[in-house]
Amino acid sequence: MVSSFCWSCMTRLRPTPRAVLPPPVAAPRAASFHTSTVRYALPAKKKASLDGPPKFREAKSARMKKKKPVEKSRPPSVGERKALRKRIVLSNPNALEVEGMQDLSSENMVDARLRGSVLGLPVPMLTQLRAVEAFKPKQGWSIFRRPGTVVRRETLELGRFIDGISNEGKDKGRSAKKIVTGVRGSGKTVHLLQAMAMAFTKQWVVFTVPEPQDLVIAHTSYAPLSDDTPHLYVQNDATAAMLSRTVTANEQVLKNLHISQQHPALKSSAKAGMTLEELAKLGIQDPAIAWPVFQALWSELTATSPAPGFDKGFKPRPPMLVTVDGLSHWMKNSEYRSADFDPIHAHDLMFVRHFLSLLKPGSEKPALPNGGLLLYATSASNNPTIYSFEVALKQIAARQAGLNASAPEFPQADPYSKADKRVIDAFDSAKPTIAKEGILELQTLGGLTRDEARGFMEYFARSGLLREKINDAWVGEKWSLAGGGVIGELEKLGRRLRVVN
Amino acid sequence: MAWQSPNCIVHAMQSVRRTVQLRSFLHTPISPVSLRTNITPILSQQQRNARGYATEVQTAPEINFDTFSVQPARIIPASPAYFSGSPKFIDHLLNLESVLAKWASLPTVSPGEAPRMAWFKLMQFREFVGEPVPTKKYKNLIKILQRLNRIDPKLMPFEVRDTLKIFLRPGNPYGNKPVPATVDEMGRARGRGKRKTSSAVVHLVEGEGEVMVNGKTIVEVFPRLHDRESVTWPLKCTSRLDKYNVWATVRGGGVTGQAEAITLALARALLVHEPGLQPVMRRAGVITVDARRVERKKPGHVKARKMPTWVKR
Amino acid sequence: MVFILGVNFPERNLVKKSLESFFGIGNNASSRLLARFHIHSTCKVGDLANKQVLDITAALSEMKIENDLRRQYLDDIKRLKETGTYRGRRHALGLPVRGQRTRTQIKTAVRLNRMERRL
Repeated sequence: MVSSFCWSCMTRLRPTPRAVLPPPVAAPRAASFHTSTVRYALPAKKKASLDGPPKFREAKSARMKKKKPVEKSRPPSVGERKALRKRIVLSNPNALEVEGMQDLSSENMVDARLRGSVLGLPVPMLTQLRAVEAFKPKQGWSIFRRPGTVVRRETLELGRFIDGISNEGKDKGRSAKKIVTGVRGSGKTVHLLQAMAMAFTKQWVVFTVPEPQDLVIAHTSYAPLSDDTPHLYVQNDATAAMLSRTVTANEQVLKNLHISQQHPALKSSAKAGMTLEELAKLGIQDPAIAWPVFQALWSELTATSPAPGFDKGFKPRPPMLVTVDGLSHWMKNSEYRSADFDPIHAHDLMFVRHFLSLLKPGSEKPALPNGGLLLYATSASNNPTIYSFEVALKQIAARQAGLNASAPEFPQADPYSKADKRVIDAFDSAKPTIAKEGILELQTLGGLTRDEARGFMEYFARSGLLREKINDAWVGEKWSLAGGGVIGELEKLGRRLRVVN
Repeated sequence: MAWQSPNCIVHAMQSVRRTVQLRSFLHTPISPVSLRTNITPILSQQQRNARGYATEVQTAPEINFDTFSVQPARIIPASPAYFSGSPKFIDHLLNLESVLAKWASLPTVSPGEAPRMAWFKLMQFREFVGEPVPTKKYKNLIKILQRLNRIDPKLMPFEVRDTLKIFLRPGNPYGNKPVPATVDEMGRARGRGKRKTSSAVVHLVEGEGEVMVNGKTIVEVFPRLHDRESVTWPLKCTSRLDKYNVWATVRGGGVTGQAEAITLALARALLVHEPGLQPVMRRAGVITVDARRVERKKPGHVKARKMPTWVKR
Repeated sequence: MVFILGVNFPERNLVKKSLESFFGIGNNASSRLLARFHIHSTCKVGDLANKQVLDITAALSEMKIENDLRRQYLDDIKRLKETGTYRGRRHALGLPVRGQRTRTQIKTAVRLNRMERRL
């Protein structure tokens, strides 16, 4: 029976167990199904105290009551409220420890038997994941004892792919480019998180852009790239922040790699024999040169062989994972203004331009020559509607299905819609000429299967959040209510149904 | 106005007939002179015999009973209820009462088992008898009819049966039943439902529990969990949630109305697949139509019923 | 504390708001000024580089703001009055200048309009 109270507000819990269905025949009442009128009925109003007659032995006067002086506490210090808002709690000591939960490791990330179970994130890796801002404040990490993610079909594919690139074999050095879409709560960000965790276990280098919106809303400093190119802009502070994220997260890897290329842009500050960590720290210390430092770091990491004169101690570079979470913010004019007060297109920002250029196939060598993965996710909750981006995504899907760009069924932008040509061109990549480089793909995340959903709900039960008997019928019902197993909705259901039945 | 009523026409015809008889009666003794005064035939005879002022007293002639007219002076109506204003109705009523009194001892069946009869509606009955029948009195008549109808059909006397037949509406309103809905050749059952100002159409096919509303998933259309539970409630209460796929189209109204319109439509579509579920769903309250709508606002009112505040001074 | 055109601004203030505190610079002028020197709109005064401060100061000193602008305003009003125009008369009478109704709602004009207009 549909409950007479909203599950989200747990104020009117019923202590008695609900009647098992179908309802008992002994009471043939016409159950009032439509409960909303009752729920929405206005509460009985209290009479205003001034209007009524004076109470017993109480005088009534027209004099207004004096206002109590409001106690003014000190306003919160700068950044305090933001820190509270962005705070990420990864552990709940009241939740039960789930027995037998495995940690993510390089062995079990390809294990198909674990499908539908929840794998914990290794505790030492959490600092790395925090550094790349893989966790988001609104995700429900704080209700479990320790963070863990469910292994679904896409996770296993990802695991196999990452494993294949890292290991010696025919897949070594391959690269793939994916744009992850899906409905709200379908686990796109967590998919990126899983990719990052796997990349960290395989000692990859991870670059992330956790909040692309921050780059285009005119909240960080910007400056023209050089006098020659006045229409291109660099964002030094944002670049320095990204370098800082990358260094914190990939310290172990970068420490062991040394400079192997000439960097004329950095002049004397880049010395031979420097580790890449030290190189990156140059940019963190002085944000004014953050962009050249980032370019130098990128060229080092994508080097396949040392430049002449730097042969000593060259190590092959690890594969790279690049993630962007919330791509569509980059598909329109930014809030920045040029010197002539014209709006700057997001693609004119060097930072954005660099990450979008990775989507194009490289001409001589692939965008990621040492192999790796580009995972760019769209967002469904904080998402500007951009027509040309939607068309571009459709075109990617069509190209992935093997449709030629000249075919009549190939999706084209409406000629009267003023579609942004730059956006469509950014994703308009021909088939890569290099064998190891993958075509740009569109990956749509849907709901979990019933088995995966069952494993997920069992994890809730074993954490002590859910006191239900988990059987197939119950899971099937929740699966339907969650719109076909959309994992975010399942999570909401799991954390709400804390009624003892 | 009174002429429109057939009853009055009867009155008028009778009065015309009376005057015609009277006139022919006056004409038979001839003498146009006698027409000047309204006199009886006896008087005219007297006039014929007498010349000038008659002084001697004559006896009246003997009444010849052979030629005595049987025509009464006034016409006696056929029905004793003639002057009641609605004589035919009362005749029917009395007739029914007498029939009931005659056959009251016969065994009866419960009202549910009695054959369904389409009695005259009040307006039709007024036309039928041609008299203004009050509503309440007609209700009493219907009560008697229903009591008579409850007599066990096996033992029903022909007299009762014929009497009841008089009061039946022409045609057979309960004969044409709607064609029971069936699952079409693609396995879809269709159901429609309304609630508040929303109306929904649900196509139900066998499947594994997916619910789509207006081409979107249920999560996108109904962010509130309560609404989602409302939508799937007919399947849940019959534990059929993982056996059917739902494709719903809903228009109009707000979120709650749309959700509960789908509930009703879904329940009706499910009945097409499995009619045996009706008692369960009836008890769960999902095939009960909630016919309430928003009451209209009236002029002079603030809302439907609320009046503006009124202070004496 | 940062000096911009001789005025001291606390470091936590927004550059845009600080510029708008000058008479004669509003939303549009300050936005254009920021764009000219590539300063983002949420920049704080403390985050400005020295060169940017100097640039802004130089640009401001070329603009007609503060007392120069006030003087020009008053001169314009005076000119209107001296040439005997209707507008000048309305200024002197303390009534609305631009054809508004005067039956009601002329408080602003009464308060501000006079020969030595308050600015």
